[in-house]
Amino acid sequence: MLRGLVTTAKVMLRPAHTAEYPDVRPVLPPRSRGVIALVQENCTVCMLCARECPDWCIYIEAHKETLPPTTEGGRARQRNVLDRFAIDFSLCMYCGICVEVCPFDALHWSPEFEYAEFDLHDLLHEKERLGQWMPTVLPPQPPDPAAPEPKEIAQAAKAAARAARTATATAGRAATTGRAAGSRKAADAGRAAEAGKADAAGGTPGRRELPE
Amino acid sequence: MDVDGGRELTVGVGAGGLATSDMVLNIGPQHPATHGVLRLRLVLDGERIVSVDPVVGYMHRGAEKLFEVRDYRQIIVLANRHDWLSAFANELGVVLAVEQLLGTEVPERAVWARTLLAELNRVLSHLMFLGSYPLELGALTPVFYAFREREELQSVLEEVSGGRMHYMFNRVGGLKEDLPAGWTARVQAAIAPVRRRMPELESLLLGNEILRARTVGVGVLPRETAAQFGVSGPIARASGLDLDLRRDEPYLAYGELFAPGGPGRVVVRTAGDCYARLDALLEQVHVSLDLAEYCVDRLRSLPPGPVNVRLPKVLKVPAGHVYRWTENPLGLNGYYLVSRGDKVPWRLKLRSASFNNVQVLSRMLPGCLLADMVSILGSMFFVVGDVDK
Repeated sequence: MLRGLVTTAKVMLRPAHTAEYPDVRPVLPPRSRGVIALVQENCTVCMLCARECPDWCIYIEAHKETLPPTTEGGRARQRNVLDRFAIDFSLCMYCGICVEVCPFDALHWSPEFEYAEFDLHDLLHEKERLGQWMPTVLPPQPPDPAAPEPKEIAQAAKAAARAARTATATAGRAATTGRAAGSRKAADAGRAAEAGKADAAGGTPGRRELPE
Repeated sequence: MDVDGGRELTVGVGAGGLATSDMVLNIGPQHPATHGVLRLRLVLDGERIVSVDPVVGYMHRGAEKLFEVRDYRQIIVLANRHDWLSAFANELGVVLAVEQLLGTEVPERAVWARTLLAELNRVLSHLMFLGSYPLELGALTPVFYAFREREELQSVLEEVSGGRMHYMFNRVGGLKEDLPAGWTARVQAAIAPVRRRMPELESLLLGNEILRARTVGVGVLPRETAAQFGVSGPIARASGLDLDLRRDEPYLAYGELFAPGGPGRVVVRTAGDCYARLDALLEQVHVSLDLAEYCVDRLRSLPPGPVNVRLPKVLKVPAGHVYRWTENPLGLNGYYLVSRGDKVPWRLKLRSASFNNVQVLSRMLPGCLLADMVSILGSMFFVVGDVDK
């Protein structure tokens, strides 16, 4: 009886272990699989995510557009234009395969989880809604020191070296214009290298540039 | 079934002189004591159970058939869902089977990380039952203690895998991605308080007079019956069936962990009653925490290296068949993989622990009192998804 009272007293003095959820929001890790965010501009309509999804809850619709040749006498190019990208979160199993297979980092996990709906149909998020999740995506954590160097860093280093070579070559051949272009490339490569370092295995949004 | 005299007497008073006919009572499929949709068809003679028929299949999702139309990465999604409390261990069996057919060598860091995560997952599963079993017996407090510890461990698992239940962290050839920096330290920081506070939970359970009265000597499962029905895991070990694949057929890094002088030991009890099963589960939590701590230390001392191997874009497994079983938190979990060289398996048979563990109820319950049914059912530690697949 006395021992029980002692325990009660001890527990009473201890701070509460409970999280005051709606008032205090939980701190979630970047890898947390809350909702899938989409960077529309990065999507090339390759359909990998839709095909790899174990329960086929990704809907993609697109059409082809013909771009006029950029140079005189050049060839007209075709490119895919995304019309619809939707994920049905009432079917989604939150496995993350779509995010994993996306070759152009168009899909990202966001730890955001407050999107419950009264109607099941409202869980179908169209591309506008999926894009709105993008600001909530957290930067990935750095990998364990024992982890091998991410391949993005090697790629970026290679790109930087190539850019530097081009820069010296152009500088040797011509005057200011060449140098300006070369240095811009080198700067790009440097940025990519930084991004690669920050990013262990996931991807950095917006690495791929759209042809304007 | 041997029942102590006192219990026999109380029943005899009510039903002794009257001519009674047997009554059929359905427990479930929707019943709070069945953790899901298990249905027990009981035939009762007064308060005493005459025969039991566990009716399974209310949650059958055809997992084995679904495996056949999914590639090996998609199978992991489904495989970690049949026993939702031990998702990591379920994934593990699939990837181990595929790796064996492929002949893949898994990097050492991945092996130790997998072992660590499997043990943390075991602690999580055990804690769940250590919380829910007393709840069924009417003790409300332990579940809060158990869930507080679960939360500590779940947060580190969420940090590494992104999921709190369905981790999806195993891949053929290793893990999905590398561990985040400083994660191992946070695992240690999570294990320490759980270990420190375990005695609190223990004293609530083992020292509790009411709980002892409802479990000691109740629902005795003899060793032979356990062996006949293929019962495995902590339930079988509580009946004295000394079988633990981690020691007897080591996979992952268990060979080293269960070697003489290692931190691993197999928890065996001989009583075979509900109390022994609960006790075995509690003791296993301690063992698993020991193993997890050892794994963290080893993981930190390992030389740098990858946690996965490069796989072809389309993974095709060579024709052949293999059976891999692992020691899941609830018992033996086996996958029989038959491949015909496609990117999907031709057949993936699943042997789940709970299925066998539930079948033995038809032997254990007859002769018991209806009131003891809940305490026996709860002590069988099953997940209905694992029964019905």
